[in-house]
Amino acid sequence: MKSLEQLTDSVFYIMAALTEPRHGYAVMSLIEETTKGTFVVGPASLYTIIKKLVAEQLIQLHDDSDSRRKVYVLTDKGREILLEDIERRKVMIHLAEQGLQRGNI
Amino acid sequence: MLDKRYMISDGLAFFEERDMKKLSKKAAKGWHLKRFRFAGYELEKGDSEEVIYNIDYRKLRATEEEEYFELFAYGGWTHVCSSTDMHIFKAAPGTTSIYSDAESSLDKLNRLAKPVNLVASVALAITIFLWIFMTFTSGTIQYIAQQGFAYSFIFTVPAVMTSCGVYYHMWKNLRLRSKY
Repeated sequence: MKSLEQLTDSVFYIMAALTEPRHGYAVMSLIEETTKGTFVVGPASLYTIIKKLVAEQLIQLHDDSDSRRKVYVLTDKGREILLEDIERRKVMIHLAEQGLQRGNI
Repeated sequence: MLDKRYMISDGLAFFEERDMKKLSKKAAKGWHLKRFRFAGYELEKGDSEEVIYNIDYRKLRATEEEEYFELFAYGGWTHVCSSTDMHIFKAAPGTTSIYSDAESSLDKLNRLAKPVNLVASVALAITIFLWIFMTFTSGTIQYIAQQGFAYSFIFTVPAVMTSCGVYYHMWKNLRLRSKY
């Protein structure tokens, strides 16, 4: 994860889950449930990404009273990056949808 | 007592996957990974079990351990054993790999590469130094340099090979990633 200009799907899902305060495995289960099990983040990937997002100050500890269940939440910078990536993804989807619609005529 | 067995590692840098598959086969025959041993693993006799093994390399601070192991447990991975920065986990066949995306598994290799490269480059530097010494001196000093060179050479070859192994995996990983 050299640059976070383009978020990978895993990073995107994790940041999306952390729009609200959640601990690591709440993130895991939310992703699994929302995607009906089609996208699962492995624990080592999740841990690596969380560490990286903290280092890049895109997420922060929400409450560190419990060391077993550390709760994280997006920072302002994190929200900004996520919004940018949503726009980037919208362009992709828009292009595909428009193309498919024109192809149907 | 013959309820313990030693299994030699083929070298984690090159053959991590092969080691993990071998452990899995042993478990199916009732021999379970118990702990790391010098250049290999100690297995213990038990009931036959269908499991897969995964390894992670990570330096953990005491404050990080709980969160780390808890995440794995939640992902269906049981912690088996650790040796300094290496941690082995087992899970039921079909469980999502501990590394589910190429980006973070490349990070894992980067973490592994640091100490491996340090050892390899120091060993290589000593060997080259002794070789130069051996070539341009004579008499007793040359003899000592020759002996030293022989020993350091034996150590350097596997160290450099390990380094190459890590780079081979990085290259494979990058190639895999560029497909998507």
